[in-house]
Amino acid sequence: MLKHPMLEYIKEEGPSGMRFPHILCPGCGAGQVLNYTLHAVDDLIKEGGAKKENFVFISGVGCSSRLTSHYLKFDSGWTLHGRSLPFATGALLANPDLKIIIFTGDGDAAAIGGNHFIHAFRRNMDVTILCVNNGLYGMTGGQVAPTTLPFANTPTTPYGNIEDPFDLCKLAEAAGASYISRWITAQPMQIIKAVKKGIANKGASFIEVLSQCPVHEHETPVESMNALKEITVPVKKAEGSGKIPVGELHYRPRPSWTERYESVIEKANEALS
Amino acid sequence: MIDIVINPNYCKGCSICIEFCPKHVLQPSQDINAKGYFLPEPVDIEACTQCQLCVIVCPDLAIAVTPKEKQGSRNARK
Amino acid sequence: MLETALKEKKYRGEFIKPGRHYLEGSEACVEGALLAGLKVYAGYPITPASEIMEHASRRLPQFGGRFIQMEDEISAASTLVGASWAGAKAMTATSSPGFSLMQEVISFSIMTETPLVIVDVQRPGPGQGYITTSQEDVMQARYGHHGEGPLIALSPCSVQDMFELTIEAFNLSEKWRSPVLLMTEETVAHMREQLVVPELDTIEIVGRKKPQEMGITPENYLPYGHEIVPPMANFGEGYNINHVSLVHCEDGGVGNYSLKAHRENIERLHRKIEGNVNEIARVESHFLEDCEHVLICYGSVARTGLEAVKEVREVHGIKMGFIRLVTLWPFPEEKLRNLISTVKTVFVPEMNLGMMKHPITEALRDKCEQVVAMPEIAALHSPEKLVEQILEGTAC
Repeated sequence: MLKHPMLEYIKEEGPSGMRFPHILCPGCGAGQVLNYTLHAVDDLIKEGGAKKENFVFISGVGCSSRLTSHYLKFDSGWTLHGRSLPFATGALLANPDLKIIIFTGDGDAAAIGGNHFIHAFRRNMDVTILCVNNGLYGMTGGQVAPTTLPFANTPTTPYGNIEDPFDLCKLAEAAGASYISRWITAQPMQIIKAVKKGIANKGASFIEVLSQCPVHEHETPVESMNALKEITVPVKKAEGSGKIPVGELHYRPRPSWTERYESVIEKANEALS
Repeated sequence: MIDIVINPNYCKGCSICIEFCPKHVLQPSQDINAKGYFLPEPVDIEACTQCQLCVIVCPDLAIAVTPKEKQGSRNARK
Repeated sequence: MLETALKEKKYRGEFIKPGRHYLEGSEACVEGALLAGLKVYAGYPITPASEIMEHASRRLPQFGGRFIQMEDEISAASTLVGASWAGAKAMTATSSPGFSLMQEVISFSIMTETPLVIVDVQRPGPGQGYITTSQEDVMQARYGHHGEGPLIALSPCSVQDMFELTIEAFNLSEKWRSPVLLMTEETVAHMREQLVVPELDTIEIVGRKKPQEMGITPENYLPYGHEIVPPMANFGEGYNINHVSLVHCEDGGVGNYSLKAHRENIERLHRKIEGNVNEIARVESHFLEDCEHVLICYGSVARTGLEAVKEVREVHGIKMGFIRLVTLWPFPEEKLRNLISTVKTVFVPEMNLGMMKHPITEALRDKCEQVVAMPEIAALHSPEKLVEQILEGTAC
């Protein structure tokens, strides 16, 4: 039977039972981000000569982070809420040749993970971050997040959200990320291209994907994806539109942390001669 | 011969493939799987251009379409 | 792979030479770690542990290893896990408040069976407490992390110990695929005294058990299976290892939850460490042959404790035995019981209000008439004070 091409990279079942389909809800944007990422990685392996065993997927905790639990036919680590970046940092310190892809969510990255987020960018650690931003805490029931729009009703803002959201891409830029782009889930080709660019960029690549959460938004997946189209605009047309800009927002490549640490090793050894 | 195969074990009936198909090849069907999801079905296979868009946007890797010949199929995913 | 890269490059770093040295406990710890194969150090400044981090920042790149000062203790500990998964021996050092922050990572590394070493240079608490010496974290070492999950904790008492037990900590962490805590104190970390380094080829260094060496292919690999201590593949070796801390089966699967599978997961973690306590845990003892009382202690208290025991034996004729817990956890209950037949009083001096006295009392409940705690806060017991308390305790 004809199979989806990316199932080549999925552990559909194991000795303890079936693993696919994944646990995410029908129409989940995180599932789409997995599909896009695997397409990008597949291209890099088959066309770009990248070694499959060098790819490592690391995630924190949340819906998008669930993708690395037991599905991937890659090395992976399903780590602690908010801490995927320091785990990735450790892996790079041990082996800078690893190509690390991080799945995170808006709560995982910007609330509990906020501190690690800004430092990984400041250090320009060589990671590619897919931040599936649905503006809420999906796994735990839809609570308000640092990215929730004002006035929203959520289980913890039953009288309306009185806080303003982060602009994660601006935060990433201020912190020092070298490649930043934002897309919506309805832009598959652009996301695949962005993931490839992120991996090729030797430094911190932040790819924010605004995503639908059909269950907590009480809409169909298609309705929710269309709503995201309504509130976004290509970056070149963003000025004065009052909408969220999507596209490539920032690209300033510079040496990654591990590249710079080579000079530390050199100095430490020169001093001994 | 173009094959459009929907995996009844993985499909969750989200309809994203139906919405994204530029040639409206797919429509909802009355076919229900073991989890209670209504599966899509191809209603106009001749119109399918094998663009693979449905394959790319599926959140559950539940659909497969015969790829175009080697040099052609790369165009869909540049 | 890191090891081959290191062999190909020429690094000028040299291990500490065999012979006598005079140095600080912090430095001895780092020298031991380097000999054990330390390749990644991630730290965060905190008094009185910062010296360990500073020595590591200077020495590690000399060997081609990598050092990073992270943004907090949580990320420092998390960095160790990622480094270990990618094949490196990794360590950090912190003090008590930072140790509290690391508990979630410790819990995680128990469940994922990740080898790593965390040094806790204990200082008094609670809260900011103070920056001097203490043994107030010894219960936290075992029970501070959430969930059931044993680990290994060692208690050094000298600069020599800081060197030797750091090496032992790395060896134990690789052998048992477990985090290992080095529960030292400010006294020992900041103490300067003689270190005798033996011929380097007499020092045993334990490496990781790899599936490749056992002839297990990636297709047949069970990341939490095969043996009670599962072989561990590293990132980048093509084994597609998925590390998870949710309750899991041997194949790393986290679906198909059942109470039976849950219990099996947790019970194996317990059997792995607690079930091998007699192999893992060490105690040292003196003067037990004819003793009527015994003093049980650990860490730097063992220094003054031994002095006090010798004095009460020689000067006051009291038949006092001495036991030092080298390993705090897993608690060496059977070893303690085998060392002692019956005594009148068990003295337990600690730099806290009485923590290890609890498992000691439980272990020796039927072998003694009373357990006398000798608490001291923020300072090392002096031999004189211990002698005084022993005389008082044995008089009744």
